[in-house]
Amino acid sequence: MELDPIQKDALSEFGNIGAAHAATTLSQMLMSPIEMTVPEVQVVDIAEMHNYIGSEVSAMVVFQIQGEVADGGYIVVSMPRETIIQMTNMMLGTTGADREINEMDQSAAIEIGNIMISAFLDATAELLGIVMLPSPPALAIDMAHAAFESIVAQVACDVNDVLIFNTVLTSDAPPVHGCIYMLPNADLMRQLILMLEQLMGPLS
Amino acid sequence: MNNFFGEGAAVILGLGEHRVGTCPMGTIGLGSCVALILHDRKRSLAGLAHIMLPESRGTTDRPGKFADTAMNVLLEEMARLGSTRFSITAIIVGGASMFEYSANSLNIGERNITAVRDLLQAQGIKIEYEEIGGKVGRSVYYWPEKGRLVVKRADGTCTEF
Repeated sequence: MELDPIQKDALSEFGNIGAAHAATTLSQMLMSPIEMTVPEVQVVDIAEMHNYIGSEVSAMVVFQIQGEVADGGYIVVSMPRETIIQMTNMMLGTTGADREINEMDQSAAIEIGNIMISAFLDATAELLGIVMLPSPPALAIDMAHAAFESIVAQVACDVNDVLIFNTVLTSDAPPVHGCIYMLPNADLMRQLILMLEQLMGPLS
Repeated sequence: MNNFFGEGAAVILGLGEHRVGTCPMGTIGLGSCVALILHDRKRSLAGLAHIMLPESRGTTDRPGKFADTAMNVLLEEMARLGSTRFSITAIIVGGASMFEYSANSLNIGERNITAVRDLLQAQGIKIEYEEIGGKVGRSVYYWPEKGRLVVKRADGTCTEF
């Protein structure tokens, strides 16, 4: 799978719109400004994945992309443990940053992921004029790479590379650091490129 | 090559890769994937595959990716270096179910383990050590020369075999 520069640009803009909406909802939830990077769009060989997704412990909230695009692949919010604890503290008014992840943190992580990803998919689907919905979330708190493997196994069964959109969301106060990854499967990827090319084509 | 082991050069195998040799080798962050290690003690020789899925269904371009093709390619390459099936034992690590509240589609670890075990049994290869299943990611390091295995987990615990 190779992307030409125009396709890469279009996909990056697509991710940008999604991530911007996700960042806005996160900033509303936390009542503080959130910064985000322009999404990187990369085609990554599965054997090289450990160079892109680290093995540090993170909370990963995973959704399958559903709606008009059946089984369209996966979208993931990944946040380091400290960020999850920080966010739970902010939302529930609890304190203590040095604790283990508890059930409250887990449900907070899922809820934050849910709201952010719904915003992401809403915005991008509207752009394309289709319906994209998140499945119920699944959660893993472990080495990020280990959790990623299960997702990659689902999208890269017949191919040896995956398309990864990666956006980093940050904030200094509170110290938040999170990433959104989108891994469309080959079908959704083709659809996305086609729809984006139509969007960018000359008016007729 | 990198210095991940902290003990000189070692080969880190990514998803779907395999390797046969005498050098230290490992994989970082195994989730649902299974690390299959075949070891020939007499020759200090080992093969490692970072298996992602149970069945190849005819795909051959990346044999380490699937349990069935990985088993074949490791055995073939080890046979070429003089190993016989009777001198080989196996270690398997990984095959975890990483996600809570998940639809079954993300939990392919179990299927990977079953496939690898069945294939080993069919080949008559004894499993010397296994650390499989559960809900935890693992990193694996193996030194063929000493037959030493180290498994590290996300919570920082570490076992040696």
